[in-house]
Amino acid sequence: MKAKMPITLLAAGLLGATGMSSAWADYPERPVTMIVAYSAGGGTDVAARTLAPYIEEHLGQSITVLNKPGAGGEIGFTALAQAEPDGYTFGFINIPNLLAIPIQRDARYAMDDIDPVAQIVYDAGALSVRSDSEIDSLEELVAEAKENPGAVTYGTTGIGSDDHLAVLSFERKAGIKLRHIPFPGAADLRAATLGGHITMASMNMSESVDDMEAGNLRILGQMAKERWENASEVPTFQEQGYDVVMGSHRGIGVPAGLSEEVFATLSSAVEKAVADPEFQEKSLQQGLPIAYQGPAEFEAQLEVLNEELMQLWNDEPWAQTN
Amino acid sequence: MDILNHIMAALPLIFSLEVIIAMILGTAVGITVGALPGLSATMGIAVLIPLTFTMEPLVALGMVAGIYNGAMYGGSIPAILLRIPGTPAGIATVFDGYPMAQKGQAPLALKVSLASSAIGSAVSAVALLLLAPPLAAIALKFGPADYFWLALFGMTTIAVLLSNNPAKGLLSTCLGLVVGMVGIDAMTGAERFTFGSMDLLSGINIIVLLTGLFAIPPAIDLAVKRLSEQKEAPIDKKEDRIRWKPFIPVWIKSSIMGVVIGIIPALGGNVAAVLAWNEQRRSDPDNDQYGKGEPKGVAAPECANNADTAATLIPALTLGIPGSAVAAVILGALLVHGLRPGPQLFRDDPEIVFGFMLTMFVTAILMFVIGRFGARAFVHVLKAPTTLLAPMIICLAVVGIYSIHNSMFEVWLMLFFGLLGYGMERLDIPTAPAVLAVILGPMAEESLRRALLISGGSFDYLVKSWISWIIIAMIAMTLIVPLWKRLRRLQPSRGDQE
Repeated sequence: MKAKMPITLLAAGLLGATGMSSAWADYPERPVTMIVAYSAGGGTDVAARTLAPYIEEHLGQSITVLNKPGAGGEIGFTALAQAEPDGYTFGFINIPNLLAIPIQRDARYAMDDIDPVAQIVYDAGALSVRSDSEIDSLEELVAEAKENPGAVTYGTTGIGSDDHLAVLSFERKAGIKLRHIPFPGAADLRAATLGGHITMASMNMSESVDDMEAGNLRILGQMAKERWENASEVPTFQEQGYDVVMGSHRGIGVPAGLSEEVFATLSSAVEKAVADPEFQEKSLQQGLPIAYQGPAEFEAQLEVLNEELMQLWNDEPWAQTN
Repeated sequence: MDILNHIMAALPLIFSLEVIIAMILGTAVGITVGALPGLSATMGIAVLIPLTFTMEPLVALGMVAGIYNGAMYGGSIPAILLRIPGTPAGIATVFDGYPMAQKGQAPLALKVSLASSAIGSAVSAVALLLLAPPLAAIALKFGPADYFWLALFGMTTIAVLLSNNPAKGLLSTCLGLVVGMVGIDAMTGAERFTFGSMDLLSGINIIVLLTGLFAIPPAIDLAVKRLSEQKEAPIDKKEDRIRWKPFIPVWIKSSIMGVVIGIIPALGGNVAAVLAWNEQRRSDPDNDQYGKGEPKGVAAPECANNADTAATLIPALTLGIPGSAVAAVILGALLVHGLRPGPQLFRDDPEIVFGFMLTMFVTAILMFVIGRFGARAFVHVLKAPTTLLAPMIICLAVVGIYSIHNSMFEVWLMLFFGLLGYGMERLDIPTAPAVLAVILGPMAEESLRRALLISGGSFDYLVKSWISWIIIAMIAMTLIVPLWKRLRRLQPSRGDQE
């Protein structure tokens, strides 16, 4: 392997020099690396490793998953942004983290350094209360918050997480103020909510739905355009009169500057992999809300979201800067 | 009765050839991973998960159970032989285990550690099997205020470690507290002590600090005085027979502590081990011997950190709330096999859940068997030429640290802490308080701030729950009882007491 590398590089250089771009049709001719910006064994990693074999199948090359966790994803995203744009490195990207990091601090990558290839998962945000709570709908929540400003506490998986940003957006649209209690992760947040230590949890649908089915939590609303098929009884925020669509998107991105052919090969392999019935079945088992979007559609959505986040930050920065 | 039926149904499943091989393999791998500095159960299991994609769920989970149990015990081996805890949970084992080895009682210490670990694991597995649903309720009772007091209770252990030279001990504690503050502040999002470095944003990993402070200084020591005068510790063969009877109360108490701490999310085997050692020392009338090679001081933490293993899975399996990094990774492994942790797991796939819980029990026994054979070999580490041992330790530490996050930065950081640790040792500054402060400091800070956020700044919230009061009482007992005893005796006896 090691010995082969320079030869490949040399060949690539020669081809590049002579302008024989058609030779790129051979892509991929060696194993491809997939960067995951979160720890092995976590939610994103499991999703990535579940999908990887299907991309392998349609790409015709093996994929090495490389975990580069840390700094809320920034380390992995930076590694992706700085990788050679040759199609041999792509990565899992998590939205809104990818967008929020450069907004809230001097990040080592910029949004323009990464091109989106596909959205794989959209896990809508949701607000849930314990099932013995008196709050039954968003309307009652808003009424309660207006009556006792600052008395309603909500937990999230941290400052600047999708859960946090979603509530900030909801607060603005509903004209209310809630008290934020950040937790280090979804597990601690669930424990605190189920134990009644906080009023409400802002968690993704996939993290809340099992507790709803078991009768432990009541989901007040889901932040999606349409109801998720696994929880079709939960109304969306828009249905209840609040235009909040936010959640956690997981998709695939590449370093900017890929040649068109390579980009097309990769994105069609990803599309086929997601459509693979076997993958669909596996993700259903794992409770992953699959929502495929192609490059153009995904990019357009990211731009809208980026606008919204920038506005949110300008009005009310969600993190302390120093 | 329902539970017994499920257990009977799952029993034949785990005695298939594949599952047994997986458990044996997992346990052996676990002991090895635990024993190597820098490698931990979390990593071992995380690396394994992709390999289990194609396996039957129980084969994969049997292996996971073996790794988890094995690694908790494995951590004590280098702790005893080389004063290098293989995992953070092994740190309390160093206190008495290494002095025992220096006295030539290494085989005895290993034996005590193995028996205590196996018993802890077995008790924990039984608690998981029989009591999971009722015990899970305890996990939810713990609020931020209770966590705060618990962290303070853990901190009293530091006070005990300060005994010989409080000024130097506090210096080390402060180092730990500062290191624990590095990174993005979870409550406000502000960056603290990151010096504009991206690598410091998520804080300093406890394993990086632990490996640096504990693995590198002994390695430097070994390399510096390679003609080891005192290193060739005599290995006492006579003391092969020990009376286990005095250990029984230690095991009972430590197992209970381990199980309870395991159930509480966010506390892991490291906290269990430290608290159990402290409690054992406090309650033993002959407590001067602790820290100088008291076998019960090895039994307590090893029993407690293994009793933590299956107990951590109680909230993880029943509520889907992983109480530790290992439990989170195990949930990932379940997910890969289409098993979604939480209330519905017991309803939908009882034979696999109960099978998994049974493998936790069986691997506890396997660990004892494998450990017995292994112990003979482990002791020879002491006879290995130090010129070989020193570079080996450093290599393993480097590889282990790199593999956590594939980060070279953390390797340099670990080596930096290694030099710092070596300097601290030369100056007689204890390193254990620093590690404990890194584990407990951020927990105390975050839970206090979270509690005050919830209460809107009112301090009453801190003393509202009965759990808080119980822990406060325990803190008072730990701090006041020794003082009171000393006042009553009114005789300034040997110099180094608390």
